[in-house]
Amino acid sequence: MKVHISLFGALRDADPRGFIELEAPEPCTIGELRELLRDHLREHAPNISAGLIQRSAFASENEILHNHRALPENGQLAVLPPVSGG
Amino acid sequence: MTDLHTAVIDICDGVLTPADALAFVSDPRFGGIDMFIGKVREHNLGRVVTGISYDLFEPLALRTFEEIGERARRKFGAPMKLYIAHAKGELRIGDIAVIVAAGTPHRDEAFKACRLAIEAVKHEAPIWKQEHYIDGDSEWSEGCSLCEEQREAEDAAKRGAAHGHDHHHGR
Repeated sequence: MKVHISLFGALRDADPRGFIELEAPEPCTIGELRELLRDHLREHAPNISAGLIQRSAFASENEILHNHRALPENGQLAVLPPVSGG
Repeated sequence: MTDLHTAVIDICDGVLTPADALAFVSDPRFGGIDMFIGKVREHNLGRVVTGISYDLFEPLALRTFEEIGERARRKFGAPMKLYIAHAKGELRIGDIAVIVAAGTPHRDEAFKACRLAIEAVKHEAPIWKQEHYIDGDSEWSEGCSLCEEQREAEDAAKRGAAHGHDHHHGR
């Protein structure tokens, strides 16, 4: 399935469009998607450290999705680097 | 929950207004109101800051604010009114970045609810701060990981070493 991943904060530097699209197998967990994203960025945005992806969370519009969770059916995700609000 | 007001305000559309927060949490039942206002300051970690850009994942930020409000209510009990608003966009020195206000019958719950809410906003809401410096450089602030597995690993590492809370939070 095609997965649309919105970018925020320091991860916006990974793609000027503000999102990345990846082809993910079905079924696929968030943990597996994390590996796919890491591989994609290693090739296309080598300035982004693998450590930043490791510390980032994936989320839908409603909740954080931890590594064991399956991808949402609509394929819409956000990747959230460590937060610094306030 | 009508006793909770949450907002993300794009700085292009308006500013955060403490009077609005005060009006929202005011109630004849409440004798105690506490308000936290976070502003952009001109120095951080020895560097002169000229402004801050705030990036938010808005739908989840608002969900997180609501969850924080429900948590404060569970912990400190009703009645309570809570106001949580955060700015988005390019802020200058002195601009208000965040307002949290709590109204309760007595001061103790107001202080505690306000403190719980601002700490949770800083550590849990999907919000990112990019500081701009006088030399033209910019940097995204280091922050708190929302990844459960990563947090557990970091917590385990901290338990193994003497730990000071060394996050570089602005205000």
